[in-house]
Amino acid sequence: MLSCKDVAARASALIDRELSMREALQMRLHLIMCRGCRHFVRQVRLTDRLVARVANADQPPDPGPEKLLAILRDKRPPGR
Amino acid sequence: MRNRQDDAALVAGLVRGDETAFRTLYARHTPAMIRVACAILGDRASAEDVTHDTWIAVLSKIDGFEGRSSLAGWIFTILVNNARSRVRREARSISFDAGGAEDGLAAAFDGRGRWKQMPELWEEITPERIVAGRRLADHLLAAIDALPPMQRAVIVLRVQQDLDPAETCRILGISDGNLRVLLHRARLALRNRLADLL
Ligand SMILES: [Zn+2]
Repeated sequence: MLSCKDVAARASALIDRELSMREALQMRLHLIMCRGCRHFVRQVRLTDRLVARVANADQPPDPGPEKLLAILRDKRPPGR
Repeated sequence: MRNRQDDAALVAGLVRGDETAFRTLYARHTPAMIRVACAILGDRASAEDVTHDTWIAVLSKIDGFEGRSSLAGWIFTILVNNARSRVRREARSISFDAGGAEDGLAAAFDGRGRWKQMPELWEEITPERIVAGRRLADHLLAAIDALPPMQRAVIVLRVQQDLDPAETCRILGISDGNLRVLLHRARLALRNRLADLL
Protein backbone atom coordinates (compact mmCIF):
# COMPACT_ATOMS: atom_id res chain seq x y z
CA MET A 1 0.00 0.00 0.00
CA LEU A 2 1.50 3.32 -1.02
CA SER A 3 1.62 6.21 1.43
CA CYS A 4 0.86 9.79 0.41
CA LYS A 5 4.59 10.41 0.49
CA ASP A 6 5.13 7.56 -1.98
CA VAL A 7 2.46 9.00 -4.24
CA ALA A 8 4.06 12.45 -4.17
CA ALA A 9 7.42 10.89 -5.06
CA ARG A 10 5.85 9.20 -8.11
CA ALA A 11 3.69 12.11 -9.26
CA SER A 12 6.05 13.05 -12.07
CA ALA A 13 6.37 9.46 -13.28
CA LEU A 14 2.58 9.18 -13.27
CA ILE A 15 2.20 12.33 -15.35
CA ASP A 16 4.86 11.16 -17.80
CA ARG A 17 3.34 7.65 -17.95
CA GLU A 18 6.55 6.05 -16.82
CA LEU A 19 5.14 3.78 -14.11
CA SER A 20 5.03 0.03 -14.50
CA MET A 21 1.56 -1.53 -14.75
CA ARG A 22 1.79 -2.64 -11.17
CA GLU A 23 2.87 0.77 -9.88
CA ALA A 24 0.24 2.53 -11.94
CA LEU A 25 -2.41 0.28 -10.44
CA GLN A 26 -1.16 0.94 -6.91
CA MET A 27 -1.27 4.65 -7.62
CA ARG A 28 -4.78 4.46 -8.97
CA LEU A 29 -5.98 2.60 -5.89
CA HIS A 30 -4.47 5.19 -3.58
CA LEU A 31 -5.86 8.07 -5.61
CA ILE A 32 -9.36 6.62 -5.51
CA MET A 33 -9.24 6.68 -1.73
CA CYS A 34 -7.21 9.83 -1.03
CA ARG A 35 -8.47 13.26 -1.91
CA GLY A 36 -5.25 14.97 -0.78
CA CYS A 37 -3.21 13.03 -3.30
CA ARG A 38 -5.75 13.59 -6.05
CA HIS A 39 -5.42 17.30 -5.42
CA PHE A 40 -1.65 17.07 -5.31
CA VAL A 41 -1.38 15.29 -8.65
CA ARG A 42 -3.72 17.85 -10.19
CA GLN A 43 -1.62 20.65 -8.76
CA VAL A 44 1.50 19.21 -10.38
CA ARG A 45 -0.30 18.82 -13.73
CA LEU A 46 -1.55 22.39 -13.47
CA THR A 47 1.98 23.54 -12.64
CA ASP A 48 3.12 22.06 -15.96
CA ARG A 49 0.38 23.86 -17.85
CA LEU A 50 1.20 27.14 -16.13
CA VAL A 51 4.90 26.76 -16.89
CA ALA A 52 4.06 26.20 -20.56
CA ARG A 53 1.77 29.24 -20.57
CA VAL A 54 4.03 31.74 -18.88
CA ALA A 55 6.80 30.85 -21.30
CA ASN A 56 4.66 32.13 -24.13
CA ALA A 57 3.83 35.30 -22.25
CA ASP A 58 7.52 36.02 -21.67
CA GLN A 59 8.96 38.86 -23.73
CA PRO A 60 11.90 38.31 -26.08
CA PRO A 61 14.82 40.62 -25.28
CA ASP A 62 16.15 43.75 -26.85
CA PRO A 63 17.40 44.17 -29.52
CA GLY A 64 14.93 41.54 -30.61
CA PRO A 65 14.93 40.00 -34.04
CA GLU A 66 15.64 43.18 -36.01
CA LYS A 67 19.37 42.60 -36.47
CA LEU A 68 18.69 39.07 -37.58
CA LEU A 69 16.18 40.09 -40.21
CA ALA A 70 18.95 41.50 -42.41
CA ILE A 71 20.54 38.06 -42.56
CA LEU A 72 17.18 36.59 -43.41
CA ARG A 73 16.61 39.07 -46.22
CA ASP A 74 19.91 38.05 -47.79
CA LYS A 75 18.51 34.58 -48.16
CA ARG A 76 15.77 35.69 -50.48
CA PRO A 77 16.30 35.02 -54.17
CA PRO A 78 17.37 38.19 -56.01
CA GLY A 79 14.68 40.25 -57.70
CA ARG A 80 12.07 39.96 -54.92
CA MET B 1 4.81 17.69 -29.14
CA ARG B 2 4.77 19.94 -32.13
CA ASN B 3 4.42 18.05 -35.32
CA ARG B 4 6.93 17.66 -38.06
CA GLN B 5 4.61 19.21 -40.64
CA ASP B 6 4.67 22.46 -38.73
CA ASP B 7 8.47 22.17 -38.60
CA ALA B 8 8.68 21.57 -42.33
CA ALA B 9 6.60 24.66 -43.11
CA LEU B 10 8.73 26.83 -40.85
CA VAL B 11 11.98 25.45 -42.27
CA ALA B 12 10.75 26.08 -45.81
CA GLY B 13 9.83 29.61 -44.72
CA LEU B 14 13.29 30.29 -43.31
CA VAL B 15 15.01 28.86 -46.36
CA ARG B 16 13.21 31.31 -48.61
CA GLY B 17 13.74 34.18 -46.19
CA ASP B 18 10.16 34.50 -44.96
CA GLU B 19 9.90 37.03 -42.15
CA THR B 20 6.68 35.67 -40.62
CA ALA B 21 8.15 32.20 -40.24
CA PHE B 22 11.22 33.69 -38.57
CA ARG B 23 9.24 35.91 -36.21
CA THR B 24 7.08 32.95 -35.20
CA LEU B 25 10.11 30.85 -34.34
CA TYR B 26 11.90 33.71 -32.66
CA ALA B 27 8.97 34.46 -30.35
CA ARG B 28 8.43 30.78 -29.62
CA HIS B 29 11.98 29.90 -28.61
CA THR B 30 14.00 32.96 -27.66
CA PRO B 31 12.97 33.38 -23.99
CA ALA B 32 13.53 29.66 -23.43
CA MET B 33 16.88 29.79 -25.23
CA ILE B 34 18.04 32.60 -22.97
CA ARG B 35 16.93 30.63 -19.89
CA VAL B 36 18.79 27.51 -20.96
CA ALA B 37 21.91 29.48 -21.94
CA CYS B 38 21.72 31.33 -18.65
CA ALA B 39 21.56 28.01 -16.80
CA ILE B 40 24.82 27.00 -18.45
CA LEU B 41 26.64 30.34 -18.41
CA GLY B 42 25.36 31.84 -15.20
CA ASP B 43 24.76 35.34 -16.49
CA ARG B 44 22.06 36.94 -18.53
CA ALA B 45 24.17 39.17 -20.80
CA SER B 46 26.29 36.25 -22.02
CA ALA B 47 23.14 34.17 -22.40
CA GLU B 48 21.60 36.81 -24.68
CA ASP B 49 24.82 36.94 -26.71
CA VAL B 50 24.92 33.21 -27.17
CA THR B 51 21.25 33.17 -28.11
CA HIS B 52 21.81 35.84 -30.74
CA ASP B 53 24.78 33.91 -32.16
CA THR B 54 22.65 30.79 -32.19
CA TRP B 55 20.00 32.48 -34.31
CA ILE B 56 22.71 33.59 -36.74
CA ALA B 57 23.89 29.97 -36.95
CA VAL B 58 20.31 28.73 -37.39
CA LEU B 59 19.72 31.14 -40.27
CA SER B 60 22.96 30.26 -42.00
CA LYS B 61 22.64 26.50 -41.54
CA ILE B 62 18.91 26.10 -42.09
CA ASP B 63 19.36 24.91 -45.69
CA GLY B 64 21.15 21.87 -44.29
CA PHE B 65 18.49 20.99 -41.73
CA GLU B 66 17.47 17.42 -42.45
CA GLY B 67 14.67 16.89 -39.98
CA ARG B 68 16.38 14.07 -38.12
CA SER B 69 15.54 15.84 -34.90
CA SER B 70 12.70 18.29 -34.35
CA LEU B 71 13.43 21.85 -35.40
CA ALA B 72 13.36 22.97 -31.76
CA GLY B 73 15.70 20.13 -30.82
CA TRP B 74 18.11 21.19 -33.55
CA ILE B 75 18.03 24.84 -32.43
CA PHE B 76 18.63 23.91 -28.78
CA THR B 77 21.47 21.58 -29.74
CA ILE B 78 23.24 24.51 -31.42
CA LEU B 79 22.46 26.73 -28.44
CA VAL B 80 23.80 24.34 -25.81
CA ASN B 81 26.94 23.64 -27.87
CA ASN B 82 27.54 27.37 -28.27
CA ALA B 83 27.04 28.01 -24.58
CA ARG B 84 29.31 25.15 -23.56
CA SER B 85 32.10 26.16 -25.90
CA ARG B 86 31.90 29.65 -24.48
CA VAL B 87 32.21 28.24 -20.99
CA ARG B 88 35.34 26.39 -22.12
CA ARG B 89 36.76 29.34 -24.04
CA GLU B 90 36.41 31.70 -21.12
CA ALA B 91 37.53 28.99 -18.71
CA ARG B 92 34.47 29.63 -16.62
CA SER B 93 33.80 27.12 -13.96
CA ILE B 94 30.10 26.56 -13.76
CA SER B 95 28.77 23.85 -11.53
CA PHE B 96 26.15 22.14 -13.61
CA ASP B 97 25.09 19.63 -11.00
CA ALA B 98 21.59 18.56 -10.14
CA GLY B 99 21.16 20.76 -7.09
CA GLY B 100 18.21 20.73 -4.74
CA ALA B 101 18.93 17.45 -2.99
CA GLU B 102 15.32 16.79 -2.09
CA ASP B 103 11.83 17.64 -3.16
CA GLY B 104 10.90 20.20 -0.51
CA LEU B 105 8.11 18.01 0.83
CA ALA B 106 9.96 16.45 3.76
CA ALA B 107 7.87 18.36 6.29
CA ALA B 108 4.59 17.75 4.51
CA PHE B 109 4.06 14.20 5.80
CA ASP B 110 3.56 12.59 9.19
CA GLY B 111 5.54 9.60 10.43
CA ARG B 112 3.37 7.23 8.41
CA GLY B 113 3.78 9.18 5.20
CA ARG B 114 0.34 10.78 5.21
CA TRP B 115 -0.34 14.42 4.42
CA LYS B 116 -0.23 16.53 7.59
CA GLN B 117 -2.27 19.09 5.77
CA MET B 118 -4.24 18.02 2.78
CA PRO B 119 -3.30 19.68 -0.53
CA GLU B 120 -6.08 21.93 -1.68
CA LEU B 121 -7.88 21.95 -4.95
CA TRP B 122 -6.63 24.93 -6.93
CA GLU B 123 -10.06 25.32 -8.41
CA GLU B 124 -9.99 29.02 -9.00
CA ILE B 125 -6.76 28.78 -10.96
CA THR B 126 -6.68 28.28 -14.69
CA PRO B 127 -3.76 29.00 -17.00
CA GLU B 128 -5.86 31.61 -18.80
CA ARG B 129 -6.55 33.55 -15.62
CA ILE B 130 -3.01 33.26 -14.34
CA VAL B 131 -1.54 34.83 -17.40
CA ALA B 132 -4.17 37.54 -17.37
CA GLY B 133 -3.06 38.36 -13.83
CA ARG B 134 0.60 39.11 -14.49
CA ARG B 135 1.59 38.95 -10.87
CA LEU B 136 1.48 35.20 -10.50
CA ALA B 137 3.05 34.72 -13.92
CA ASP B 138 5.94 36.93 -12.85
CA HIS B 139 6.36 34.95 -9.65
CA LEU B 140 6.35 31.71 -11.57
CA LEU B 141 8.97 32.97 -14.02
CA ALA B 142 11.08 34.13 -11.08
CA ALA B 143 10.67 30.70 -9.48
CA ILE B 144 11.84 29.03 -12.71
CA ASP B 145 14.86 31.33 -12.81
CA ALA B 146 15.64 30.46 -9.19
CA LEU B 147 15.82 26.70 -9.86
CA PRO B 148 19.25 25.01 -9.83
CA PRO B 149 20.70 25.24 -13.38
CA MET B 150 20.05 21.70 -14.57
CA GLN B 151 16.49 21.65 -13.22
CA ARG B 152 15.88 24.93 -15.01
CA ALA B 153 17.25 23.60 -18.30
CA VAL B 154 15.16 20.44 -18.02
CA ILE B 155 11.86 22.12 -17.15
CA VAL B 156 12.31 24.64 -19.95
CA LEU B 157 13.10 22.02 -22.59
CA ARG B 158 10.62 19.34 -21.50
CA VAL B 159 7.67 21.38 -20.25
CA GLN B 160 7.93 24.82 -21.85
CA GLN B 161 9.35 23.74 -25.18
CA ASP B 162 7.72 20.32 -25.22
CA LEU B 163 10.78 18.46 -26.47
CA ASP B 164 10.60 14.70 -26.09
CA PRO B 165 12.63 13.02 -23.32
CA ALA B 166 15.23 11.40 -25.60
CA GLU B 167 15.93 14.69 -27.36
CA THR B 168 16.22 16.55 -24.05
CA CYS B 169 18.72 13.99 -22.73
CA ARG B 170 20.79 14.19 -25.91
CA ILE B 171 20.89 18.00 -25.93
CA LEU B 172 21.90 18.27 -22.28
CA GLY B 173 24.08 15.18 -22.27
CA ILE B 174 22.30 13.54 -19.35
CA SER B 175 20.87 10.06 -18.76
CA ASP B 176 17.19 9.23 -18.81
CA GLY B 177 17.25 8.53 -15.08
CA ASN B 178 18.88 11.87 -14.44
CA LEU B 179 16.26 13.62 -16.54
CA ARG B 180 13.43 12.08 -14.51
CA VAL B 181 14.92 13.13 -11.19
CA LEU B 182 15.62 16.67 -12.38
CA LEU B 183 12.18 17.07 -13.89
CA HIS B 184 10.46 15.76 -10.78
CA ARG B 185 12.40 18.09 -8.49
CA ALA B 186 11.77 21.07 -10.74
CA ARG B 187 8.05 20.36 -10.92
CA LEU B 188 7.74 19.97 -7.18
CA ALA B 189 9.79 23.08 -6.45
CA LEU B 190 7.49 25.10 -8.72
CA ARG B 191 4.37 23.43 -7.31
CA ASN B 192 5.53 24.25 -3.78
CA ARG B 193 6.18 27.85 -4.76
CA LEU B 194 2.70 28.13 -6.25
CA ALA B 195 1.20 26.54 -3.14
CA ASP B 196 2.88 29.29 -1.08
CA LEU B 197 1.50 31.97 -3.34
CA LEU B 198 -2.06 30.75 -3.65
ZN1 LIG C 1 -2.68 10.12 -0.20
